[in-house]
Amino acid sequence: MNIPIILLVLLSITALSIPIIHILFGKKGISYIRYLTAISLSISLLLLFGSLIGLISQESTLPHLLRTDLLGSFFGFIVILVSLFVVISSFDYVKDHSNEAIYYSLLLFTSIGMLLLSFAIDLLLIFVAWELMSLPTFILAGFNKQDKLSNEGAVKFFVLGALSSGILLYGISLIFGLVGSTNLYVIADNLASLNSNLIPLVMFATIALLAGLGLKLSIVPFHMWIPDTYQGSPTPISALLSAATKKAGFAAAIRIFAVIFPLFSFDLSFALAIVAVITMSLGNLAALTQKSITRLLAYSSIAQAGYLLIGLVVLPYSDLGLIGLLYHSLNHAILQATAFIAAALVRLKTSSTDLTSYQGLSKIMPITSFCLAISLLGLAGIPPLNGFWSKLVLFGAAVDGGYAWLAFIGLINSAISVAYYLLVIKRMYMDEPKTVSNIIEPMSFKSVLLFATIVIIITGLFPNLIYDLSQEITNSFFNQ
Amino acid sequence: MSTEINYLIPWLVFAIPILGALLMPIVARIGEKIRDYYAIFITLISAILCASMLPIALAGETFHHQVMWISALDITAGVLADPLSILMSNIVGWLSFSIMVYSMGYMKGENNMTRYWFLMVFFIGSMQLIIFSDNFLQLFFGWEGVGLCSYGLISFWNKDHKKDYVGTVGKKAWGIPLAYSPTHAGSKAFLMTRVGDASFLIGILTLFYFSGTFDFMELSKSHTWAVELAKSGLLIPVALFIFGGAIGKSAQFPLQEWLPDAMAGPTSVSALIHAATMVKAGVFLIARIGPIFVTAVENISLIMPFFEFVAWIGAITAFLAASQAMVSNELKKVLAYSTVSQIGFMMLAFGVAGLTSNFIVGYVAGFFHLTSHAIFKASLFMGAGAIIHQTHTKYLNEMGGLRKQMRLTFIAMTIGAASLAGIPLLSGFWSKDAILASILGVESSFTLIALYGLASITAIMTAFYSFRMIGMIFFGKKSRHLSKLEKSSGKHIHEAPVLMYAPYVILAILTLALGFTGPIYEGFLANSLGHHLEYAVGMEIHEHVFSINLIAVSTSILAVLVGCGSGYLFYINGKLNPIETVKNIPGLLTLQKFFVNRWYINSLYYIVFINGSLKLSQLIHKHVEVGILDKLNTVVPKFSIILSTLGGKFDKYIVDGTATRIANFNILISRNVRKIQTGITEQYVFFFALGIILLTLLLFG
Repeated sequence: MNIPIILLVLLSITALSIPIIHILFGKKGISYIRYLTAISLSISLLLLFGSLIGLISQESTLPHLLRTDLLGSFFGFIVILVSLFVVISSFDYVKDHSNEAIYYSLLLFTSIGMLLLSFAIDLLLIFVAWELMSLPTFILAGFNKQDKLSNEGAVKFFVLGALSSGILLYGISLIFGLVGSTNLYVIADNLASLNSNLIPLVMFATIALLAGLGLKLSIVPFHMWIPDTYQGSPTPISALLSAATKKAGFAAAIRIFAVIFPLFSFDLSFALAIVAVITMSLGNLAALTQKSITRLLAYSSIAQAGYLLIGLVVLPYSDLGLIGLLYHSLNHAILQATAFIAAALVRLKTSSTDLTSYQGLSKIMPITSFCLAISLLGLAGIPPLNGFWSKLVLFGAAVDGGYAWLAFIGLINSAISVAYYLLVIKRMYMDEPKTVSNIIEPMSFKSVLLFATIVIIITGLFPNLIYDLSQEITNSFFNQ
Repeated sequence: MSTEINYLIPWLVFAIPILGALLMPIVARIGEKIRDYYAIFITLISAILCASMLPIALAGETFHHQVMWISALDITAGVLADPLSILMSNIVGWLSFSIMVYSMGYMKGENNMTRYWFLMVFFIGSMQLIIFSDNFLQLFFGWEGVGLCSYGLISFWNKDHKKDYVGTVGKKAWGIPLAYSPTHAGSKAFLMTRVGDASFLIGILTLFYFSGTFDFMELSKSHTWAVELAKSGLLIPVALFIFGGAIGKSAQFPLQEWLPDAMAGPTSVSALIHAATMVKAGVFLIARIGPIFVTAVENISLIMPFFEFVAWIGAITAFLAASQAMVSNELKKVLAYSTVSQIGFMMLAFGVAGLTSNFIVGYVAGFFHLTSHAIFKASLFMGAGAIIHQTHTKYLNEMGGLRKQMRLTFIAMTIGAASLAGIPLLSGFWSKDAILASILGVESSFTLIALYGLASITAIMTAFYSFRMIGMIFFGKKSRHLSKLEKSSGKHIHEAPVLMYAPYVILAILTLALGFTGPIYEGFLANSLGHHLEYAVGMEIHEHVFSINLIAVSTSILAVLVGCGSGYLFYINGKLNPIETVKNIPGLLTLQKFFVNRWYINSLYYIVFINGSLKLSQLIHKHVEVGILDKLNTVVPKFSIILSTLGGKFDKYIVDGTATRIANFNILISRNVRKIQTGITEQYVFFFALGIILLTLLLFG
C-alpha cells in the first residue's frame, strides 16, 4: 500500500466535499462535516499506525518524490494525531461560527500538506507541501475576523511566512543551479563530486534553507511572529501550529539535513548548536515574565524547539540524536497540544487568556486543570512523565556526540523552565478562585484532554514503547 | 529470606503508601473520619513491614531484587535491602507513624485535609523509595517526589494570611524583606533544591556515561569506571556534582537558606519532613555513595578531596546555622537552624570517615547521630507545635513560665533539648561524642585542628541555644501576651490533647532509652554496618570497638558546661540579663544583627538571583520582544536594500509585495490597535535578516 498517496486522495476528497455538503445541506450539514472530518482523520491515523507497527507493508510508487518509510509514517502519525485532537476540540470551539464548514476544510488541507512533507524527498515537492501546509494556516490564524488580535497575528504570520517561503525557494534554486537536481539523494551524490570552489555557495544555500525552515521550526531569530500569532489565533489553531506544523518542519529538516549533512566539508553542527542555545535560553527567559497563558506556551514552545535542535546538531555523530529528536517530537507534540487545548477550553469559557483567570481553576474546572498540570509537568521534564525521558535522551545524545556543554546548558535551561510551569500550576491549585460556580467542561474537550493525559502518563511510565520505536525508525532510516 | 513473597516486602514498603495516597481522594468521599484513619493505617502497615526486615539488618545481610525497566538502555529497577536502608526505613517509618497520629490532633478542624493526607502519605512513599532504591535513577524519582510533596506541604496554608508568615514582617536586610508567605516559602524551597537536583542529575548522568549503569551494586563491583573517570580528571567533579544534590536536599551551605523559611508549613510537616526525614535524604545519599567511591578507587588519596569537601561543608554549615539559632526569636526557627546545624554535624562525620584510616568510625558516628537526632528533634518539634497551638504565638518572647501549666510538655522537651545540648548519658551526648572522637582520627593535622575547633565551638553554641529555648518557654515570668490571652479566654493555658502529647512523650522516652543504651546501639551499628561494608561492598574494615575517647569526652563535657551554664545564667536562673549584656559589651550588638540577618546570605541570593534574572527577563522583553524602537526604523530600510540584491524572488516579496502591506498594516495598527500592539512587523523582518547574517557568520567565521 502506498500510504501517502492513499491518504492524499482520501483527505483531499473529504476536504473538497465539505463546501459542497455545506451548500447542499446548509446549517444541518455542519454536524455531518464535523464527523466526516474526524472520521477521515481517524482512518488516516489507523492506517499510519498500522504501517508503524508493521501490520501494513508499504510500497513506493513514486520513488523519486516520496519515500514511504517508517520515518514518514512516524511524522505523519504525529501530525494527523494532533490534527485530530484539534478537530475534535474545535467541535465546541468554533461552534456556530459563520464559516465553520470552511474551517474544517482548511484544517484538512493543512494536514495534507504536513503529511506530504513527512514523506517528501524532492525539494520541489517539499516546497509545494510547505505552501500547502502554510497557506490554510494563515487564514485559520485570522479566523476570528472581528478580533483585532487575531488579525494582527495573522498578518504578521503571513508577512513572515511569505518571506520564509521566498528564502526557502531561493535556497532550493541555488542548489538546483549547483547540482542540477532537486531529488535529495541525487543531490547527495552530486555534492560529493562538486568543485570545491563552489562550497561557499553550498553553504549559502544551506543557510537559506535553514532560515526558510526556521520560521516553522520556531528557532530564534525567526521566531518573532510566534507569540503574537499564538495569542491571536483561535487557540486550537495555536495547538496545531505549535504541535503539528513545527513537527512537519522538523521532518523536512531531518530529510534534508540527514541526507546531505554528512557530506558537508564545513561544520554546520556548531552553528546549529549556537542557535539551539540562543533559542532555548531566550524562550525560557522570556517565558518567565509572561502574563498570558498563550504567550507563555508560545515561548515555552520556542524553548522546546531549542531542545529539539540538539537532535539535529548531533545528527551526523550519534544515532541517539535522531532517536531523541523523534522521541521528543512525539512527546512534545502531545504535551503541547494538550496544554494548548486546555488553554483553549479556558479561553472559551472565561474568554480570557490571562494567567489571573487561572486562579483556583482546579475548583472550577477540575479535569482541565488536571490535564493542563500534567502536560505542564511533562513539558518541564518532571519524571516519570514522558517529557523527562525524551529530554534525557536528547541530552544524552549531546554528550554522546561530543557536545557535552550543550547538554549542560540544556539542563540549566530545564531547571529555569520549571519556574514558569510551576507558576501556572500554583495558580490553579493553590490560589482561591474568583468565582465559585462550576463550569461545565464539554465532552469533546474532555475526551481529547483525558486521552492525551493518559498517553502522557503511560508513555512516561513505560518509556520503552516510544524509545524502541524511535530506535527502530532510526536504524531503518540510516540503513536504507 | 529466600521465598518469593519476602522479596516483595521492600517493594511494598514504598508501593503501599504511593498507591494508597492516590486512592486518598476516593476514600475521602466515604467519610472524613475514615479518610483520617485510612491515612494512618497505611503508614502503620508500611512501618510494620519495615520492622519485619529488621532481622536482616541485625544479621548484617543484604538482599537485592531486580526487574527489567528500560530494556533498550539495559536499566533495571530494583530494591536493595541492606542494614543501611533497613535501619533508615525503620526510622522514617515509625517517626512518620507517630507524626501522623500527632497530625490528627494538630490539624483538627483544618480544611483541605484530603490534600494534607495525600501529600503526607505520598511523601512517606517517596522517601521509602529513595531508601530502597538500588540505583540512582529510581532514587532520583523518589528524590523529586519528596521535593514536590515538601513544596505542597510548606505552602499548605495557601491563603497566605499574615499570621502564617514565617519571619518578622517588616524587617529587612539590605532592602530584602525577611518574612515570607507560605507559598513563597514553598516555591523558595522547591527552586533552591532544584539547583541541587540539577547538579545531582549532571553527576549521575556523567557517571552513567562512564560506567553504563546506575546500579549501586554494579558500581561497587566494577572499578573500571573510576579509573576512567580519574584519567579524565572527572572523578572528584562527578562526586561533587552528586554531593550537590545532597547539599540542596539537606539544606547545607550554600543552599541552606530554604529550610528556615520552610517553617511556614504546619508544625507536623516541619517535624516529619524538615527535621526528621527528608532533610536526612542528603545524608543518606552520602552514606550510600561514600563507600562506593572509596572501594572504586585504587588509592584512597584519589577520592580524599571529595571527603574533605564534605567534611568542610558540614562543619561550616553546623557553625553558621548554630550561630543563627542563638539569636532567633521564633521557636520553630530555632529548631530549624538547629536542624541545619545538626545535619552539618552528620555530614562532617561522613566526610571525616573518608579522611581517617578506619572508614567505619566516622560512618557509624554519622549514622548514630542521624538516628538520635531524628528521634529527639521530632519530639522537640511536636512539643513546639503543641506550645504554639496552646499559646497562639510562635515568638519566644511572648511565652515564658509555662512549666507548671504544661508539665508533660516541659519534661519531654527538656529531655529533647538536653539531648540536643549533649548532656551526658542522653542519646545526643553519645552520638556527638562519637563524631568528635572520629575527627580525632583525621591524618592531616591542620584539618584535624580546624574541624575539631569548629565542631567544639558549635557544640558550645548548641548547648547554649538549647537552654535558651527551654528557659524562654518554660521559665521566667509569664509574658504580657500570655496574661492577656488567659484573661480574654478566661481559662488557664493547659496541656494539649492526648493525641498530640502522646507521640512526643513517647519519643522523649525513646530518647532516654537510646541514651541509656547508647554504647550498645553504637556497637550494634558498627557490627551490622561494618559487616555489610565488608562483604557486600567489599571494603576493608578494621574492627571497631566501642571505647571512650578521653579527649572527646572532656571536650563535650566542657562544651556542655560552658554552653548550658551561660544559658542557665541568662535565661533560667535570671542572674544575668541578656539584653543588657548585649548592650554593654561593644561589638556584640553588631554581631547579633549580623546573625539575625542570616549573615546576609539570604539577601545576597535575592539580590543576585531573583532580582537579577527578573531584570534580565525584563531586558529581553524590552529589547528583543518589543524591539529597539527608535534606532531600528532607520536601519531597516538600509537592510532591505542590501537584502533586495539577494535575488528576484526576494525582491518581489520584500520590496514590492510586503512593503505596501507593511505600510498599510502599520496604518491599521496605529489607527486601531495601539493598545494591543506588541511588536512591529518591520522589525521582525529585520530580525529575520539578522538571523541569516548570524548563521552566515557562524558558518563562514
